[in-house]
Amino acid sequence: MSEMSCEVDTAVKLRTMAMLGGQALRSLRKTPALTSIMVVMACMVAVSVFAVFAVNLTAIGRQLQSQVQIRVFLDQNAAVPDKEALGLSIKALPGVTKVEYVSKDEALSRLRLQMGDSGFFLVDLEHNPLPDSFDVSLAHAEDARAVAGEVWKLKGISDVIYGQKWVDNLVGALRVLWGITGAVACLALVGASLIVSNTIRLSVFARRKEIEIMKLVGATDGFILLPFVMEGLVIGIAGSFAATALVAAGYVGLVTWVKSVASFIPIIGDPIHMRLAVIGTVAFGAAAGLAGSAISVRRYLKV
Amino acid sequence: MVKMYGVTRVYAGGVQALRGVNLSIDKGEFVFVVGPSGAGKSTLLAMIYRGTVPTRGQVWVAGRNIARLRWHEVPLLRRRIGIVFQDFKLLPDRSVYDNVAFALEVIEVSRRDIAKRVPMALDMVGLAHKAQAMPDELAGGEQQRVAIARAIVNDPFIVIADEPTGNLDPDTSMDIMNLLCDINMRGTTVIMATHNQLVVDRLRRRVVQLDEGAVVRDELRGGYCGEA
Repeated sequence: MSEMSCEVDTAVKLRTMAMLGGQALRSLRKTPALTSIMVVMACMVAVSVFAVFAVNLTAIGRQLQSQVQIRVFLDQNAAVPDKEALGLSIKALPGVTKVEYVSKDEALSRLRLQMGDSGFFLVDLEHNPLPDSFDVSLAHAEDARAVAGEVWKLKGISDVIYGQKWVDNLVGALRVLWGITGAVACLALVGASLIVSNTIRLSVFARRKEIEIMKLVGATDGFILLPFVMEGLVIGIAGSFAATALVAAGYVGLVTWVKSVASFIPIIGDPIHMRLAVIGTVAFGAAAGLAGSAISVRRYLKV
Repeated sequence: MVKMYGVTRVYAGGVQALRGVNLSIDKGEFVFVVGPSGAGKSTLLAMIYRGTVPTRGQVWVAGRNIARLRWHEVPLLRRRIGIVFQDFKLLPDRSVYDNVAFALEVIEVSRRDIAKRVPMALDMVGLAHKAQAMPDELAGGEQQRVAIARAIVNDPFIVIADEPTGNLDPDTSMDIMNLLCDINMRGTTVIMATHNQLVVDRLRRRVVQLDEGAVVRDELRGGYCGEA
């Protein structure tokens, strides 16, 4: 059969690609592609929003976990005879790596620094309400509960706080959030694939006569399939691109707002993360589009 | 050119379209396949362009067993076979020229070759002057001519025609037959399924008669109904 094959030069290949692209675009106009682009977009918006949320909370969680400290507040009413001795006693506890004394004035200036512009209400205070304290650093975050218990036994302590419990809660919540994000992503992938598949099915149906003739005159399977695969890909990419634009615009607004009113929230706003997110979402949409066309091409285009 | 050995085709549901058909068609022959509706004529033709494969037996076309063709070889076989149907199968939104050119575009023939070969094919079927017309502006016979031009534009070695005159009046049918005879005169094998007694009796070519999927007559220079 090899003598039957015809020589195809590059120019012809280019023309063929242009022709197949043209066919895909014509199909996009004829079939309800805009509807499927919108549906794909809605799916991708859902995935993106969950992903953005999960990524940010994970970053916050990681930061908090790395900073687990015990803060020991000193009783302001009972005179503590020797703060230095108390500090040494804490330092002597197993698992403690560092003890730092923070005077009430220092605590206030730290708070001002942390609050930034939002800390305006701290300026006019008549007296400093903050107690003196020790910041106790630990070798391992999970020791926090044990160390806190030991510290309570010392005299002159008004309160001991440590973030471990709610950090634990946060880690659990993050796991759930990531699970939901994964589920939403799966649903979105299935939903987007099905809608693309349906569009391609209509497209195949609209062009069934052309397809029949193509088969009879000896067009290759690839030649017949490619426009439909391209159509699915275009729908997937267009939908996810629109979703990305929408979510990115919203997110940039959110970042700006958060930084101006609550700058202590460590929201991720660097361009590298954003670029990765855009590429990821568009790739996800493209995958949904490809999967959708593959389903229909296999089922309805028996070449 | 075309050889069939004990070809049987059973469709899903148990319908036997062909039963043990043996047939040999040489290069350059003109063969009518006749028989009542449901006799298996279309299935027999479809075997040749691998529209279907035998359940039992073998079909050889141009020295190849069609059931053994790999998937990528099937289009290459079809490029050498011109197929014409009763319902013309033209694309209504393309001009006569574009309908014929379509057959070459989809097998990636260069634009220069298309510009050379399409006018030649249209000239051959006598429609050069209607190249820019749309199919629905043409009479039935003219539409069938466009379909024939599309079938021969790639210079096939076989033309398969499945009831090409089925929708046409007797005069137009004879025009189409003359055209198919011209194509045959140039060396192309023509295999045509038909119900048209007039053309079979007038042309006196080889007749293969099918009945309930079996060959009941194979006669050189035969008529529609046979000598009996």
